Formats: sequence, structure tokens, C-alpha cells
Amino acid sequence: MKRTHNKYDLVVVGGGHAGIEAALIAHKRGIKTLLVSMDKKSVGRTSCNPAVGGLAKGQMVKEVDVLGGIMGFFADLSTLQSKTLNKSKGRSVWSPRSQIDKNLYEKIAQKYIKEQGLKVLEGEAVSLKVKKDCVRGVFLKDGSEITCSAVVLTCGTFLNGLIHIGSKQINAGRYGEKRAEGITESLNSLGLKNGRLKTGTPPRIKKSSVDWKKGEAGYGDKNPSPLSYRTKNFSPKDEPCYSFRTNSNTHNIILDNLSSSAMYSGKDMATGPRYCPSIEDKVYKFNQNPSHVLQLEPEWSMSEQIYVNGFSTSLEEKIQLESLKTVSGLENVEFIRPGYAIEYDFFYPSQLKNTLESKAVSGLFMAGQINGTSGYEEASSQGIIAGINASCFILNENPLVLKRNDAYVGVLIDDLILKDTNEPYRMFTSRAEYRLQLRSSNADQRLLTKSREYGLLDEQTVEKLSEKIENTINMVRFLEDNNINPKTINKRLEELGEKPIKEPARMSNILKRPKVSISDMKIKNNETKSVLTNYMKEEILFEAETIIKYSGYINRQKEEIDKIKVYENMIIPEKFDYNDIKSLSNESREKFINIKPQTVGQAQRINGIRPSDISILLVYLKRPFHVKQIK
Amino acid sequence: MAIVACSTPPGVSGIAVVRISGEDAIKNVSTFVKDSPLNKTRPVSKVCFLVDKDGEVFDEAIVTSYISPNSYTGENLVEISCHGNPKIISKIIDLSVDAGSRLAEAGEFTKNAFLNGKLDLSEAEAVASVIHSLSLAGVKAGIKNLRGGLSKEIYSIKSSLISVVANLEFNLDISEEDLQPNLLNNSEKTILDTIKKLDACILSFKETKMFQSGASVVILGPPNAGKSTLFNCLVSKDQSIVTDVEGTTRDVIEKSININGLPILLKDTAGIRESGDDVEKIGVERSFIEAKDADLTIILNDRNLSFEGVKHIHVFNKSDIKSPDEKYDISISAKTGKNVKELKEVVYNSLISDKTNTDTLLTSKRQYNAIKSALKHIKDAYSLLIAEDSMELLVEDINRSIGFLDSITKKTTKDDVLDAVFSSFCVGK
Repeated sequence: MKRTHNKYDLVVVGGGHAGIEAALIAHKRGIKTLLVSMDKKSVGRTSCNPAVGGLAKGQMVKEVDVLGGIMGFFADLSTLQSKTLNKSKGRSVWSPRSQIDKNLYEKIAQKYIKEQGLKVLEGEAVSLKVKKDCVRGVFLKDGSEITCSAVVLTCGTFLNGLIHIGSKQINAGRYGEKRAEGITESLNSLGLKNGRLKTGTPPRIKKSSVDWKKGEAGYGDKNPSPLSYRTKNFSPKDEPCYSFRTNSNTHNIILDNLSSSAMYSGKDMATGPRYCPSIEDKVYKFNQNPSHVLQLEPEWSMSEQIYVNGFSTSLEEKIQLESLKTVSGLENVEFIRPGYAIEYDFFYPSQLKNTLESKAVSGLFMAGQINGTSGYEEASSQGIIAGINASCFILNENPLVLKRNDAYVGVLIDDLILKDTNEPYRMFTSRAEYRLQLRSSNADQRLLTKSREYGLLDEQTVEKLSEKIENTINMVRFLEDNNINPKTINKRLEELGEKPIKEPARMSNILKRPKVSISDMKIKNNETKSVLTNYMKEEILFEAETIIKYSGYINRQKEEIDKIKVYENMIIPEKFDYNDIKSLSNESREKFINIKPQTVGQAQRINGIRPSDISILLVYLKRPFHVKQIK
Repeated sequence: MAIVACSTPPGVSGIAVVRISGEDAIKNVSTFVKDSPLNKTRPVSKVCFLVDKDGEVFDEAIVTSYISPNSYTGENLVEISCHGNPKIISKIIDLSVDAGSRLAEAGEFTKNAFLNGKLDLSEAEAVASVIHSLSLAGVKAGIKNLRGGLSKEIYSIKSSLISVVANLEFNLDISEEDLQPNLLNNSEKTILDTIKKLDACILSFKETKMFQSGASVVILGPPNAGKSTLFNCLVSKDQSIVTDVEGTTRDVIEKSININGLPILLKDTAGIRESGDDVEKIGVERSFIEAKDADLTIILNDRNLSFEGVKHIHVFNKSDIKSPDEKYDISISAKTGKNVKELKEVVYNSLISDKTNTDTLLTSKRQYNAIKSALKHIKDAYSLLIAEDSMELLVEDINRSIGFLDSITKKTTKDDVLDAVFSSFCVGK
């Protein structure tokens, strides 16, 4: 007798960072949601480094937070050390990062899910039930079936996962965890194409085997701010990380044993990421560097297990150990487990719409590593969007699509669906052409309106953020409308080596000078009473200063955005037949047919598409006889 | 619908070429070619008889067909090289139109070539400049761009800018704790280099323009310095009125000449002096206006006259009767012709500076404007760099500069920058 489960509206497959966000937000929006995980105890697991946030990633965590996501909140509750990176550079690239307690993080996640009343089922999804290109349900390995009208797949590295440690190969989704089989084949039978990617993780070592005196301790910020706007009273621990350095002996051992690495042994391996290279990659490709940094990070509070950041590897275990022992301070190092590389199936994300719904199968959404990305934050960003849009699909609402100038989340999805994936995709600030606007400090300004529209945040947080935004705008106006006297500012200007002023000048104009800060304006409390309340005062002053300092550049960008808007709104019909345009080069035509851009704006951003291809496309889109052929 | 036009200049000539381009070009032409060898599958070039509607032969011509996409326009294309009799040409065009073609608009063949991706924008502009160029050197500049000379130079400037951006982006996208030795030192040098190269491009635009549309050279000087004598000597014709009465030349007289292949519009002006005569006053004013717009002024026998921002040479004339009391660039006698040949060299060298060693020749106003904007932004970037302002603002300006260069060649993508980052630096822990 076939077991049948309750009927659900939405099934989320996978309980990692993408899955949690997708399931929780849909649940919050009143969708009958089920989270299916192979192991209930692994829900919320952080498989690799013990940190959330970082360059570009910190910005994404803040965005996800405003969109009702939960990653920043969990991270705040499990922080071991909090730091804003890149403080020595411009403020648009300041990025918050938290070292976290990995054990605590997953405990908090599981507890929170239970509190919210989200249903979790332990089981392995093996295929989808699809009728007339629409999702109807999910089949589990035990033969049972869950009926639903939408699915979010967040399978991480589990699809046909294969671990490499030197010549040793293990079928697994993560170290010590079973891999998932069946989903790839099920999706292939629906016409979806997959590829193979690879990623790596470093060894975990015993704390007691390290001579800590030989490392250099690194601590967090003195007055850190939380990742989530929902976090109150943030006073985290400040446990140090320690840096050690490799040397030429380390490198020689690695170079002598390259053939033992799964990467260099000539096996037909999937592509790995260039930005998170294995130690063998670093030593081989960048042999001009005499030394590489290894950052030793605790995996949980006072943990015996230490993460060796910077030593991702797939060398034989013996060689890993031998080479690490050449590092000063690690002479007696002992492993808890070796580093490894993992190969897994992903699905080309160009098969998705900008809502993260499949172009081919209605009601099928995908998020996270299955789309060829890497990183907790990238997964979480897609998870929240897939969850929101799956709920919109079920509720028959307009989907949420973020533009490249709205958020890194928008940049991420736009890049994913339009670019060729040949390595796991990681976010960088340099991927965002509107980086100056996408700051971690203004995620609320950028996304609160959308968040309210879809009801993603609790009322209290919405109210507080609205107030903060309003006060920021008023503060900017105050600085733009009021003058500062030479008497008040000149002494300070001289101290800064800036030219003094002769006449009273607009505060905003003085503030635009690189070295001047808002505190130099000596704004009296009674002057700004109407503008400033105590809530988030520092943040408001900082934001107002930033808005004024960047205004020249940002106004220019806004003009550009307006110029290209017309293309973003120019829809290419779904059934548009590129074969009709004889004058396109074969290469461009193939790209258009494969990617099926939804708008002319998207078409322009496809790699290798030339302006002349777009001119031709525009000509055809405007030709009435052609439009007639489209049903 | 196929388009048809005569591609050679109007009038009687030995040979004329009529082009028909479009999906139906081959079908259309086949209607008036006797025993047409044309077919849609492969190109043909053959001597054929052209027949009118009654089947009567009216010319013998070479008919050449090109099959899409392997043609100039990227479409099916037929070229008919007929005898250059306007009646024959119009007959061919009439017959094509009867068969379903329409008359091409100006530049439509090249426009189609562009739309079909056969030419990029700078190549299309190069075609236009080849067609409209006044001198051989101008044609050469056009041809050079057609072969991608301009694109190549811009690419090389762009790739050095991309490497600067890569340096900066690397610094921005890597946290301090992971930062490798500061790589900014080379950026300043590269930015200065780029400014120099773009400056050279702009200078070369002015020179290319001279080769294509001619340089304007104005002769100025006090009355009776011998301006008209020199003018006549240079054009070797008695064009100006030469008398001993001061102020004879009251209007500006122009004549095209050619020095070393450089087309020059030479202008003779009224003598510059205080004058009570209203008509002459107007003449003097016009002289000044001409001088300010000139690419070069030849100032005769007045060591102290010059115009700001206009190149000039000071020439002493009438060396046959007296010697100069001050230092002049060159001393000549327009009357006897002494040193006139040398003067021509001086004129040429002043117009074409040997300092511009760049191979890049900008051939259109659009390219010129793009380079000018690129230059502006790279200069902005340089001042930010010197002021040690925020690095990400610096990137912003360099990226804008690259954006303007992109409008001349291919678009630079974020991946180009990331590729440069990944290939040069060890990114990531």
C-alpha cells in the first residue's frame, strides 16, 4: 500500500541556507509549506567555513534580512566575533562579517523552525511529478508521494556528490553524509540540462595540536553592529582567529605531490572556483608568492575542532598532513578530518526566469548550489527570492524581481540567468556596476518598499526602519538647505589641510570634500530636533553623510539607469523565433535560443552579444509582420 | 525586399557598377539576364547579356553574385558591372525595380552590412570616410580603420585600463587581512600613459580631418607685405589682384592647393592696419575671423602678430630687396620664388606634427567625441588618485572612460575585469 502524505501547496527540498529561507518565508506568507530533508538534524548546517557575511556577502545578508530572511538573525545569535571588513576603503565596500558558532547556528535554526510551526519531513526526494509542464508533486525514495503545486529545489552539493581525497573517491553529499540520487535524472527527463561543478574544503585540525603562540591573533571590532535589523542588544563574544603562514618547504611538498591531487592527476574533473583556489592551485599558479596566509578559525565556542582557512585541498591525506607540518606552529598538527574536493551536479541557471522559476516547468523553482553558485549568502539570497516567488505563484500574485540597481541579490540572479556558468559563482562587489548604491548601510532604503508590498517583515521592524529612512532623508535635506559659517568650520578645515571658506557655504558642499565628516558640521541637537531622534542616530548621520558624499556619482548612475530602463521594459515574447532573423550570426542566434532573454535589457547583457545584434533584434521586434507570427 | 542602386558616380564613364542586395536579389536579377547562370546556392561571376522585357539584348556585363552571409551586406548580393552609359544604368535599375526591388537610400548597403553584423560601427564609419575622403592619405586612414587599426589601438588602451581596474578591484574585493602587497603603484603610470595616448588620438583626429577635408591656411600681415604675391606663388596662378596700392585685397580669396598630399585651402586676406575706409574695415575684421578658425596662419613681415590657440609661422617676405631686422621662422621672396619650396615644407610640418606617432586615426566626429569623453574621465580619475580619494570612485571614473572607448569597439564586461583579476592575483583564502 502506497503511503500518502498530506497535501501541501509548496514543498522545499533541502534544509540548507537556501531551503530554510524559501520554506520560512513561504510559511510566513501563509503558504502550506513542507520542508523535506534527508536528515532532520542537519537542517541549517554550515558545511564549510565558520563565518557569515564578508565582502559583498555581508551586503547580501543585510538585503536578505530586509526581505524577511533569517540568515543575519541566526548569525547574530551565534556570533563568535564580529567585524566590518574593508574599513580602510570606501564605504560602499564596507562589509560586515561574523565568525559563527556552527553548532549553535544549526541548533538555533532548528529551534526557530519548530517555533514557527514549519513542518519538516525526514526523507529523500527522488523525482518530481509533472503533468503538462506543471509541477504536481514530489516522489520520495520510500515510494510515497507528496502532492503540491510548487516545488523549490535546494539540493546543495548532494546531487550525485562525489568526494575526492587524493585518489580516494567517496559517494557523499557532505563528509559523512549520504548523497542524493534520482533528482538529476528526473529533471533531465523534463528536458533540463545539468553540468558538473567542484568545490573544496580544508582540513579540520585539533586545537590541542597547534602551537598558538606562533600565530598572530586577530580580533573583531570594539563596537560591532549586528547583521539583522531584528537583533536587539548585540554584544557578541570576541574569540580570536589566528593567522599562520606557509613557506617554501610547504610549497615544495605540494608541488612534488601534485599528481596525488584529484585536480592535477589528469582525471576528468569538473571546474572549480578561481576565487577560492585549492592550496595546490595557489602554489602552482602563483609560484611568485613565497608564502600564503592560513587563518585558523574556531568552529564553535572554545571548540577543539579548528578550520584551516586557506588550505582547501584534495591532496592525499598523508601529503596534506606532511605539508601542513612544515608551517611554523603546526609541526605537531593532528587531523580531525582531512580536506577534500566535492563534485556535484548543478543545473544551468539560464534555464530559469528571473523569478528563479524554471522556464520549462511551471511551479518548479531552484535556489542555491543547484544553480551553480557557491557560498551560504548566495544560497540564502536565492532561497528568499525563490520562496517569495513560489508563494506568489501559489497566490497568483506578481512575482518579486530585483533589478541590478536594487540589490546584490538582483545582480546575482541577473548574472546567473544570463551568463555562462563555468565555475561556481561567487559574488564580488566588482560584479555590481551600481556598487556605490548597493551599500550594506542602506539595504533598508533600497528594499523596504518591496518588503512591505509583499508583507515580508513584522510590523514593528517595518515601522522602525521607515522612521530611520525618513529621518535620514530629512537629515540630508537639512545639510543641503543650511549654511555653515566660516567661523564654525575654518579651524577644522585648516586642521584637515583643506582650503578655508570666506563666505557661509552649504553644509552639503563642504561635506563633499573627501576629508570632511558630518561631525565637523557641529550640528547642534536643538537644530535637528525635528530630524533626529535617538533611534539609530549614528546610522542616520553616517548614511546622510554617505548620500551627500556620493551624490555626484550616484546622480550620474541614476541618469544611466533611466536611459536603459526602456530596454528593461521591452518584453521579448516567449515564443519569439530567432530562426526568423536570418541576419543574426549563428553564434548570437544560438545564445538567444539557449537563454531566451525575457527583455531586450537582458539580451544586451548576454556575454558576446554585440550592439549590432541588439539593433537587429529591435528592428524585428518592431516589425508588425513578425509579431503576427507569435502566438 | 531587395534594394538597388548604382554604386559608381553618376555621369558617363567606362564602367559602372549596379548593386542589388537582399533575399530576392538573385531572383530579381535573373529576370533580365539572358540564360542566367545565377543561383541561390553558390556565388557566380560571369559575362552575361542583359535583356529588356522584349528579350532584346541592351548590354554585355560582368554579373557577380555573392550568397548570404558571405557578401558585403551579409545578404544575397549581385553586382552588375555594365558599360557606363547612364541610359544602360537606368535601364538596369528600372528592370530590377520591376522585378520587385526598391531604390536604396543613401548608405543603405553599409547600413545593412552593419545591421547584419558584417561591420562594427567603427568599420562602418571607416567606409564612409573612405568614400568621402579628399586625399590619398585620408583614404589610407579610412582603409586602416576598416582593417581594424583604430579598434586595435583602442583595444590596447582599454586593456591597460582594465588592468588598472583589476588592480583596484582586487584591492576592493579582498579583505585587508588577505591583502597582498599593494599593487597600486603602477596604476598611476598607466593612467598617465593612457592620458598621453588619448591626447595623441585627439591630435591625430584633427590631422586626419585635415587629410580628409583639407587644412585651412590663412595668410596674414600688414598691407603691402606681399600676401597676394605669396598666395599666387603658392597656387601658381594669378588669382589675387596684385597692385602697389595698399588694401587692394578687401575680401578673402581662397584656393585649394596640395602640399605633399595634404589638401590645403589657402586664404589670402586683407592687410591688417588702422583704416578709415569702412569697406576695408570689414575686410580686416574678416581677416581676423579667418585667422581664428585657421589650422595655421602664415604671418608675413609682422613679428609681433599672432592669435592665441592658432598655430602660426612668422615669415619674412621680400628678402630680394631687404633683410629682416628681427628673427623670423623663415625668410623668402615670393616675387623671385626664393625659399618658397622650403616654406611649403615648413607649412606641412607645422600642420602635421611629427610628435604624433600614433597609428590611430580617428575618422569620425562620433569617435572623436567618445575619445574626448574618455579622456575627460581618465583625467578625473587621475585627480582622484592624486587626492587619494576613495578607490571605488576612482574605479567609477575609469569604468566610465572604458565605457566611452567601448562605444568605438566591443563592449567590456565585468567578466573581462574579473578574468584580469583572477589571472594576475591569488584571490581567496
